[in-house]
Amino acid sequence: MKTIEIDIRGQICPSCLLLVLREVNQRHRELMDGNLCLVILTDNRAATGTIPDAVNNMGIAAAVEKLAGYYRIIIQGQHD
Amino acid sequence: MGLSVWVVMSGLTLIGVVAGFLMHRSDFCMAGAFRDLFLFRSYRLIRPIVLLVCLSALLFELCRLTGILPIYPFPWFNPPAGINLFGGMVFGLGMVMAGGCVVGVLYKMGAGSLLALVAFLGLLAGSALYAEIHNWWVPLSRLTVFPTRAVTLPQWIGGSPTVLVFVCAAIGGFFCWRWKRDGHWTNRNPAEGFIPLWFTAIGLALLSVLTVLLCGVPMGVTTSYAKGAALLESWLVPEHQATLTYFTATPLQSVLPLDGILRSGGSGPHFDVVAIVQVPLILGIICGSWLSAQLLNEFKIVWKVPFNQVAMVFTGGVIMALGSRMSPGCNIWHLWGGLPLLTMQSLLFVIGLLPGAWLGGKILQHVLLSAAPLKRLNS
Repeated sequence: MKTIEIDIRGQICPSCLLLVLREVNQRHRELMDGNLCLVILTDNRAATGTIPDAVNNMGIAAAVEKLAGYYRIIIQGQHD
Repeated sequence: MGLSVWVVMSGLTLIGVVAGFLMHRSDFCMAGAFRDLFLFRSYRLIRPIVLLVCLSALLFELCRLTGILPIYPFPWFNPPAGINLFGGMVFGLGMVMAGGCVVGVLYKMGAGSLLALVAFLGLLAGSALYAEIHNWWVPLSRLTVFPTRAVTLPQWIGGSPTVLVFVCAAIGGFFCWRWKRDGHWTNRNPAEGFIPLWFTAIGLALLSVLTVLLCGVPMGVTTSYAKGAALLESWLVPEHQATLTYFTATPLQSVLPLDGILRSGGSGPHFDVVAIVQVPLILGIICGSWLSAQLLNEFKIVWKVPFNQVAMVFTGGVIMALGSRMSPGCNIWHLWGGLPLLTMQSLLFVIGLLPGAWLGGKILQHVLLSAAPLKRLNS
């Protein structure tokens, strides 16, 4: 399985959501089939809510975990 | 400096700390609220602003009816003019490009955002730029003044503020109730220590009322950004700074409710009534946000940021400062202070914010998507 990591820490809002939506739109089939995993690193607190909401609405699952001072959002597979 | 000034400044600092803490925890971004309306067709951040404005309107009106409110309408609001609309448009464009409004950059800066610091520097630069065009702008702005002495909508239509304020608050309250019924107030954000947006909206409305009761004017910060620019100029180019009317005049007057003394102030590099009522809020918001980020172990400065974003947020800061000086007033001043009283200046400013935010969103989208993000591919 391929993994694409996008590091958006320190960037202006709403970089996170715009870039993730672009990637998800371009690679929707791969993400749905479980052949691709998108990993987003962000320090934007709002993005931990808006990104899962947005990709869930597109039928893709997302999980959020906190690391050392920032958040990792993992996007892959079908949303239940 | 008298005891009353110390008390007011201490109280405002505390209000700022609580506001900064709440805004960081909820990521209460006013620029994002208007931007996302157009960019994502999202009402997520606009809903708490509606709640904040409606609750503030009710509280201010109750304070007025009970005689607690020192002055009505608040000082430093004037009859409407076309420049309020134009200033709102310019401000809306700038705040979206800057990635935050005049208090958004403060709480983001307090949490370690380098780009927010760049936007803050842009605000200082924009304030200095406005000082250069002030003498040209003032006569032009006078041409756009509406032929009325009324400051608020109720004054203009000749009725009691109570009915109109309660009707507007009831309409807003109805929408808030519907959003609650539809589950839009539910906290679904997994960020550590996240405070729901509705809670922060209520908190900020209460803090806004406390601010007026304590110092006699609503929350505002941008004239103090101009003071900061004037202070820098007084160090770097003192002869030039002394020639600028905008940095030497003291047109603003206000009475602190605690001592009843009438004080003057302006954008100059002096300790005056503007510094008393605004600087503590600025420092408090930065400190409150810093405290929140530290408690969550989320304070971290990321030094490597895309240059195109640095250029955009600085430009946005300059444009936002120009908008706030031209209007005059910022989004906090008009949305948290003027709109709840239905001042016509604030109504025009908020209408102007919409096209400005739309244009800012277009520019933002182009800049952010034109550069490749940092990406690592593993198989």
